[in-house]
Amino acid sequence: MRRSTAAAVGTLTGAALIIGVRLSVSAPVVPSAAPPVVDLANSGQDADPTPSGTASKKPTTKPTEAADNGASDENADDDASGEAGGGGLKNGIFKGDAAKNVYGTIQVSIKVENGKITAADATYPVTGDSATINPPAIKTLNEETVDAQSAEVDAVSGATFTSGSYVKSLQAAIDQATA
Amino acid sequence: MHHAEHVMGTVVSIDLADPLPPEALRTMVDDVCAWLHEVDRRFSTYREDSEVCRFRRREIALADCSADLRHVLDACADLWRDTDGYFDAYATGPLDPSGYVKGWSVEVASARLAAAGSVHHCVNAGGDIRARGFSGSGAPWRVGIRHPWEADKLSWVLAVTDQAVATSGTYERGDHVFNPRTGKPAQGLRSVTVVGPDLALADAYATAALAMGEPGIAWLAKLAADGYDSAVVTDDRRAFSSAGLPAAI
Repeated sequence: MRRSTAAAVGTLTGAALIIGVRLSVSAPVVPSAAPPVVDLANSGQDADPTPSGTASKKPTTKPTEAADNGASDENADDDASGEAGGGGLKNGIFKGDAAKNVYGTIQVSIKVENGKITAADATYPVTGDSATINPPAIKTLNEETVDAQSAEVDAVSGATFTSGSYVKSLQAAIDQATA
Repeated sequence: MHHAEHVMGTVVSIDLADPLPPEALRTMVDDVCAWLHEVDRRFSTYREDSEVCRFRRREIALADCSADLRHVLDACADLWRDTDGYFDAYATGPLDPSGYVKGWSVEVASARLAAAGSVHHCVNAGGDIRARGFSGSGAPWRVGIRHPWEADKLSWVLAVTDQAVATSGTYERGDHVFNPRTGKPAQGLRSVTVVGPDLALADAYATAALAMGEPGIAWLAKLAADGYDSAVVTDDRRAFSSAGLPAAI
């Protein structure tokens, strides 16, 4: 009994992780005073339906570092939809173990009512080494680019160019324009 | 006044926005250029007669090194410790403090400008930037971060004043950043930008995170407490930015 519950929580943790990812896509935490240029890419990005239906309806998850890279999530995705779809989960609130990933330590909890997940949450302990992961806006870079011509800049930061490759750099164009 | 100087194997762009007489600005630009060439002579690993190369060959003892070189060596040792060994001036064998020297030399150049009366300037040394005050338009300096795949595009625009912006990436000079733990070229991150008060440290942190690969993202996040924000693009095109990144627009 306890074992199967633990298994359900374990597999559903993956689903909650994905919810975390998607939430951070739809509501990236950015400084309100200075939303990044890249925000314009936000719309229509998170069209994917979330995998475990009801769980995504009432997410209390804060958009944060829950993201993990794709591969393992994909698997969890499949497992979770199978388990959750089958129903029969024990009612209650279940907490997963604190798990470490590259973005910090997270702990996922789910609420089960009438055999279905009705809420998922992820917490991020603010102690120790898991403090402040600044929740990144997780988007693909393509959607974050701005056209150089439309953004007037005084200088360009980039990986160090050589004297030779300088001539082809955006900084060279700026230097020419302002010389 | 705007000036671009070929030095230290790259090009340093100097932008002075102070309402001062042109001759005063010219004198300041000349002083900065002289300093940067001096740094090149003394610290280049490509010049056999540089102080760094002479120290490397043990022709001069540590105690006889200049105060500047001793500072650089101390700073490299501190950074080695603070980056868990990922910033390593000995990563490629003999001492090569270039990863610290460039940022430090521009940090010093900016301080010299400030001491000479320039409170509004922006110095860009091959992509590593130290800005003070405001641009000619009276607004913060607008610093674009180069798109890691498209040289003529930007992935972020920052509004910067009294801060440094350093970017390390694998796209410009090939595999020149190595993971000192594996001895192999850095993998996982395509571009790392660090924004903070000191260019030498920002540059070293960016290089260290690049060497770490993806775990470097979590490592960078901890630097925010010290005033260093960051923006990262992974090899598989995911982009991350810390909450305090001074994004413009």
